[in-house]
Amino acid sequence: MSAEGHPPPGGGSPGGAAVNPYRRLRSQMVQVLLAFGLLPLVAMGVAGFVANRDGVETRTRNVLEAMIKNRRVTVEFFLEETMRQLALIATALPVSELGKAEVLAGLRDAARREHSAIVDLGLIAEDGRHLAYVGPYKLGGVNYSGEAWFQQVMLRGRSESNVFLGFRRFPHMVMAVKKREGGRDWILRATIDTDILSALVREGGLESGADVFILNRLGEYQTRYSDEHRLMERADLGPIPLHSGVRVLEQRRGGKNEFVATAWLKGDAWVLVARQEVPGGAMLLFAHPIVIVVFLLGLLSIPALSVLIARHRLRQIRSLEEERGALYEQVTQSQKMAAIGRLAAGVAHEINNPLAVILAQVGVLADLIEDGDFSDPAALKERVKKIQAQVERGRKVTHRLLGFSRRVGPELEPVNVIAALDETVSFVEKEVEAQQIRVVRDYGDDVPIIRSSLSQMQQVFLNLINNAVDAMGAGGKVRLSARRTDNPAGVEVQIQDSGPGIAEKDLARIFEPFFSTKSEGKPHSGLGLSICQEISRHLGARISVRSRLGEGTIFTLWFPLEPEPS
Amino acid sequence: MTSPGLSGLKLLIVDDEVEFLEPMSARLTRRQIQCATAENGLQALERLAAQTFDCAVVDVKMPGMDGLDLLRRMRHDYPATPVILLTGHASVELGVQGIELGAFEYLMKPVDLDELLDTVRRAVKGSRV
Repeated sequence: MSAEGHPPPGGGSPGGAAVNPYRRLRSQMVQVLLAFGLLPLVAMGVAGFVANRDGVETRTRNVLEAMIKNRRVTVEFFLEETMRQLALIATALPVSELGKAEVLAGLRDAARREHSAIVDLGLIAEDGRHLAYVGPYKLGGVNYSGEAWFQQVMLRGRSESNVFLGFRRFPHMVMAVKKREGGRDWILRATIDTDILSALVREGGLESGADVFILNRLGEYQTRYSDEHRLMERADLGPIPLHSGVRVLEQRRGGKNEFVATAWLKGDAWVLVARQEVPGGAMLLFAHPIVIVVFLLGLLSIPALSVLIARHRLRQIRSLEEERGALYEQVTQSQKMAAIGRLAAGVAHEINNPLAVILAQVGVLADLIEDGDFSDPAALKERVKKIQAQVERGRKVTHRLLGFSRRVGPELEPVNVIAALDETVSFVEKEVEAQQIRVVRDYGDDVPIIRSSLSQMQQVFLNLINNAVDAMGAGGKVRLSARRTDNPAGVEVQIQDSGPGIAEKDLARIFEPFFSTKSEGKPHSGLGLSICQEISRHLGARISVRSRLGEGTIFTLWFPLEPEPS
Repeated sequence: MTSPGLSGLKLLIVDDEVEFLEPMSARLTRRQIQCATAENGLQALERLAAQTFDCAVVDVKMPGMDGLDLLRRMRHDYPATPVILLTGHASVELGVQGIELGAFEYLMKPVDLDELLDTVRRAVKGSRV
């Protein structure tokens, strides 16, 4: 089982050299916020546009369908009503009356007063001769026997013509009914006002903006919906096949989509047509201006808000980082002081022993002086030398301690890792020996000099060695090893103890601050390993641990030849 | 030169600091004290087996058998010989532990010879009472 010390996120090195990471973080935050803000907005906009378009299309189609149904009823009623009027006249009056121009004029005027579409009236004999006529054209004496509508009325008893030019050389339509009197057939014929019919048809499309008109079977206009075309002209729709009910098709025309609704009128001679452009593009966008306003506001405000939020969050992160950095400094320093405190007893031993020797030697000299015994100057000189040696021994101890207690800082210097390890062990060697703990050194021959912080490195070593000693109690073995690594280039240090090992559940947590496996009786801060991890991170080093209950623990440190600039 | 009440006293000094043993031995001998030295606990037990001592001055921190272990053995095997613990290790806990184990006194290095002899005198006197 093993664990690695994971450095906490962010965390600039002391000295505030982390400006670029913040800038990068801000840019990343802005990008993420923009993506999270804009993507849903655009997606909703597109979805809304599509839904709106589908809705508008369906609505347009339905309105068109309802309108053309309604219009068909109206037109059929109009034509039926006009035909009925004609039939009523033919039935009500004898031919003797109908043959009089003044009677016909009276009838026509009465019909006009009732808003009928009858423009003129005429009585025609069965051989086609025009017997009487009242109307705006000069049609007296004309023979209709060759006309299609004449043939039809003679055969079927009634006729509704297409719009045609006829004798007037002007587009018009004719309605005619046959009357039987005195053993002969008579025909009452009326011209229908195509403008009134056109207006009636066109009226249906006024509200929705659709063009509504009637075509005959050949696809020729029977009514007008605008001034752009003429009656009897061929429409650009082609022949429309017979069908029942209402049919709505969508087709391209002039680069735009349009709906074409068709309904055949009774008798299947004429088809009622309504065509309307499919609403799209800007028209759809501006169908609901409030949506556009909200969309645009979102589009404009999200980038601004993203930048503001990112800035705000970054300020918070930065401030937290600074606090954390300051706290780290404090904790590192106090932990180090605690370690030094613990060392003090051991160091006192280191200093007091030479002092005791010096005092004893000085005592001997004082005794000799008191006795006036200077008989052996060489022996005296030897004692002075021994005093000097002990002074030097004490000086080394204090020098080492001073070197170690230097303030924590990122100063880099060439470091001999093996010398650093040995010097650290020397602080605790007495205690180690006293506890019958054996220190085994296993150093490679080619361990390179690296650039690092000696004091910080030694603080890590000291923590790990102290932990190892604490873990083992009396007896046991601490193995120190150092070797070069080539990929990546650096130095690997291992501090291995033969202690009881660390339980798997604890191993994952040992780098957490304030976590400790040490018993309550032993002094500990629970910060040692988290500080080791922090320091390692500062030095660009890596720290990991492997342990198994009953088999001891190995801490592995890896130092780069030179830390990467943070 | 003699020290009052200590002349002819047999004293064992146990310390792994060899450089300390020689001058101490010289000074004590000059004061008519019969001084024997041992560099570790085992050597001390050998000396104790060979002759009787009036008092032992024992360093606490020593490799192998340390001062406290030696103290335990002495309290058991040579209860008549008082033990004065002497150490450079500045730890109150160690001192308390030593007294609890039966040491007569606990002294810190560097100790003044007169203070040491005074303690030895009191220790010997106490053991004879």
